[in-house]
Amino acid sequence: MTITIFLGSLLGAMALGVPIAFALLICGVALMYHLDMFDAQIIAQNVINGADSFPLMAVPFFLLAGEIMNAGGLSKRIVNIALAMVGHVHGGLGYVAILASCLLASLSGSAVADSAALAALLVPMMTAAGHNKERSCGLIAAGGIIAPIIPPSIGFVIFGVASGLSISKLFLAGIFPGLLMGIGLAIAWTIVARRDDVKPLPRKSAKEIVATIVDGAWAMMLPVIIIVGLKFGVFTPTEAAVVAAVYSLIIAVFVYKELKPKDVYAVFVQAATTTAVVMFLVAAAMVSAWLITVADLPGELIALLEPFMDNPTLLLIVIMLVVVAVGTAMDMTPTILILTPVLMPVVKQAGIDPIYFGVLFIMNNAIGLITPPVGTVLNVVAGVGKISISDLMRGVWPFLMAQLAVLFALVAFPVLVTGPAKWFAS
Amino acid sequence: MSSSEAPVSVVTKIVDGYFRFLKFVIALCLAIMVVLVFGNVFLRYAFNSGISVSEEVSRWFFVWMTFLGALVAMREHGHLGVDAFVMRLSPFGKRVCLILGQTLIAYVCWLLLVGSWDQTVINLDVKAPTSGWSMAWFYGTGIVFAVTGGLITLHNLYRALFCKLGEHELVQVKESEEIHGEHANTQGEPALRAVAGGKH
Amino acid sequence: AARDLKLAMQTNPGTAQYDGVEKFAALVKEKSGGSLTVKIFGGGALGGDLQVVSSLQGGTVELSQMNASLLNGLAKEFSVLDFPFLFDNEKEAHAIMDGPIGKKLMDKLPEKGIVGLAYPELGFRHISNNKRAVKKVEDLAGLKIRVIQTPVYVDMMNALGANATPLPFPEVYNALEQKAVDGATNPLVTIPVMKFDEVQKYLTLTRHQYNPQIIIMSKKAWDKLTPAEQKIIQESANEARDFERQVSAKKNAEALEYLKKKLEVTELSAEEMAKMREKVKPVIEKYTKELGEPFVKEVYAEVAKVRGAK
Ligand code: NA
Ligand code: NA
Repeated sequence: MTITIFLGSLLGAMALGVPIAFALLICGVALMYHLDMFDAQIIAQNVINGADSFPLMAVPFFLLAGEIMNAGGLSKRIVNIALAMVGHVHGGLGYVAILASCLLASLSGSAVADSAALAALLVPMMTAAGHNKERSCGLIAAGGIIAPIIPPSIGFVIFGVASGLSISKLFLAGIFPGLLMGIGLAIAWTIVARRDDVKPLPRKSAKEIVATIVDGAWAMMLPVIIIVGLKFGVFTPTEAAVVAAVYSLIIAVFVYKELKPKDVYAVFVQAATTTAVVMFLVAAAMVSAWLITVADLPGELIALLEPFMDNPTLLLIVIMLVVVAVGTAMDMTPTILILTPVLMPVVKQAGIDPIYFGVLFIMNNAIGLITPPVGTVLNVVAGVGKISISDLMRGVWPFLMAQLAVLFALVAFPVLVTGPAKWFAS
Repeated sequence: MSSSEAPVSVVTKIVDGYFRFLKFVIALCLAIMVVLVFGNVFLRYAFNSGISVSEEVSRWFFVWMTFLGALVAMREHGHLGVDAFVMRLSPFGKRVCLILGQTLIAYVCWLLLVGSWDQTVINLDVKAPTSGWSMAWFYGTGIVFAVTGGLITLHNLYRALFCKLGEHELVQVKESEEIHGEHANTQGEPALRAVAGGKH
Repeated sequence: AARDLKLAMQTNPGTAQYDGVEKFAALVKEKSGGSLTVKIFGGGALGGDLQVVSSLQGGTVELSQMNASLLNGLAKEFSVLDFPFLFDNEKEAHAIMDGPIGKKLMDKLPEKGIVGLAYPELGFRHISNNKRAVKKVEDLAGLKIRVIQTPVYVDMMNALGANATPLPFPEVYNALEQKAVDGATNPLVTIPVMKFDEVQKYLTLTRHQYNPQIIIMSKKAWDKLTPAEQKIIQESANEARDFERQVSAKKNAEALEYLKKKLEVTELSAEEMAKMREKVKPVIEKYTKELGEPFVKEVYAEVAKVRGAK
């Protein structure tokens, strides 16, 4: 019964075109009536306390770092490194895009920022070299979603806070699965692009390669700082994020000199506004999460899922299919916020490793960013690459299939996540 | 938006000024958070010391940034939503949905106002553990948000009821976090801004 | 009809504190013949401690149990409970908390919308680290010790010569494992529960702070109860407190046995304890001024009385 009220009020409000954050608050009001505990303070208390979190401060800091990296020339140099290294092999620009996706992913926490930067820098090059435009844009969209899997990751931060899991552990567990996504894309690209008649870029001389790497070294230091800092407990994820922001600001303003001091204000306003949109959603989700807890809605769900509880793999497959379905229509952040409080108790009850589940869940949500009809990353790449959404959908599907294959390989072989996670953590 | 109403009224000027001010405040909040948190890390490793209020105070600025920024996004229709259903409706259907939706939002703002008011009063002489500041400053965020958000919503409702909206304004949510801000009207532009550093 | 009372706390099952509230819930149900039920929400499911206090004041959550000194935002006198070396042993601590001082503190709560019921315990804190056995005060010099981000804790640890490093609790294991900090201060039970013994080598039984907990109720909810029901709640809280202290003592003793096998455990000599007390004196003086001298004096006088009575 509570599930009906929860879903009915939430989806009903969303269908009216109410922003999801307000739909979550309306859902909270409906649950309060249903539980016969109406009190306006419950809303105010939870929404305000929902934004009051030190771990979540990683969100504005990573967003700020991403803004600065794109505006300050760090992202561009990362792409140049990838170009110098694999630009000359057959179909090389595709591998450049994949390598650059993985490298950028280790600097930025947001799929949207990465795919926008990659599309702007690489689509013109790829089409000029003779690659099919739909396919190039599709590859870049699918590469962009590696960003939330390889740390840093805003998705992991929000999931970690919503589930009470260690964000550092989630970060370290995401590294290898993120690389697997890159490998999956490389295989798909090799298959679909083998017949493309393209001229590879001329091989760069060793001197040029060294020069490019030296030029980009300042940018490439950043992932080293973040991963080493987290691995050795030098700082918390929030502190890692602020270090990333300050470091990229210094490099962009004083070393690369591509970010003028007068542009810094605009960058801060933009990062603050984007953060507010994400955080208001997070805060509003705390209201419904509080009432879900009081009503013991996960208990109801566990009863519903009883037939699957003895078989974790089957349960995981069911959950993953549900998340894929939700992801077709919903953006990453709201999906994480709405499903985490409902699913985590189920996952724990079934004896599934929560960190392992977190990696799969976030990867699934990231894939949702490139599934039609609503795919944020599709919208961004279509906008930047100047291509229609329907053309892009045609181009993205082989890579979408590759990412789904990686996801379900991880469902089948949990050790692919847990093994490397243990190695990184030790 | 309403460029046809030739002379810009004093009210519009005040409202625009208020939101420009909010943008300045949220950028300032973010800058203070950076200084406090980074300062703490720096002091810890360079001098084995720290700013003991850093954690608590930076969280409070974070809360203020969230709610003031959410107001800016509210005015610019920047909050995430799903428009798949309303997009299929006739202009009349869209208008009905908009009126229903805005009424619900206005009700939520009212509840937020009442609830935050109660909590602010309760916490007037409760002190925060580290800074010693009154917790009313914390819960007061809700009052500011509810009043401003309520006014934005009532204004939307007024325009929806008395036919002052163009058809494109009848759907007020965006599908993605990406496309918001006052320049986000053309398809290519928001994405270009993303590359230029305007985006996350 | 049965009434549900929500009890919010940060602690998870498996601890003496959780056992205590479970006992409380069972007692309330039994004594009221099922007309009152207490539903426990552990692990911070209904919000952090400060949010829960505010919820109790507003009446949206009915009950909670937390460290008593966290109420110092409502009445600054609660800070005295954080004073280092205030109590020597549990017996003293229990006598003070159950006596006039504990009552005086509770009496400050109703005007803030809260009713204090009883003081169970988290217990004495001790210092662990992975650098060296701390046998003298001087051995603490330069050690990075994790503390709660509360000024008294920071000042006290620095006064002892260590470097206080405030960190949120969930990050402590990682920080110890990766040697970002050298040590931490915890009640004995917490060390095996959080697996800190895996990443620490030395434990010194400093007993430098005693954390009493407090069972509190929303005054709005309290006022809705009949006098008979209020009596049931109060009696259940008292019995649950006594039960919790027994469990706590048992678990601490077990934890110590276990830790002796895992870590090098050091008892401090009376002389070294005296040196530590001397070192923290300026800290106590500083916070005495903030809290108001008469009250602090009263507390110490009461402690002296209890100590003398033995
Ligand atoms: Na990333
Ligand atoms: Na999608």
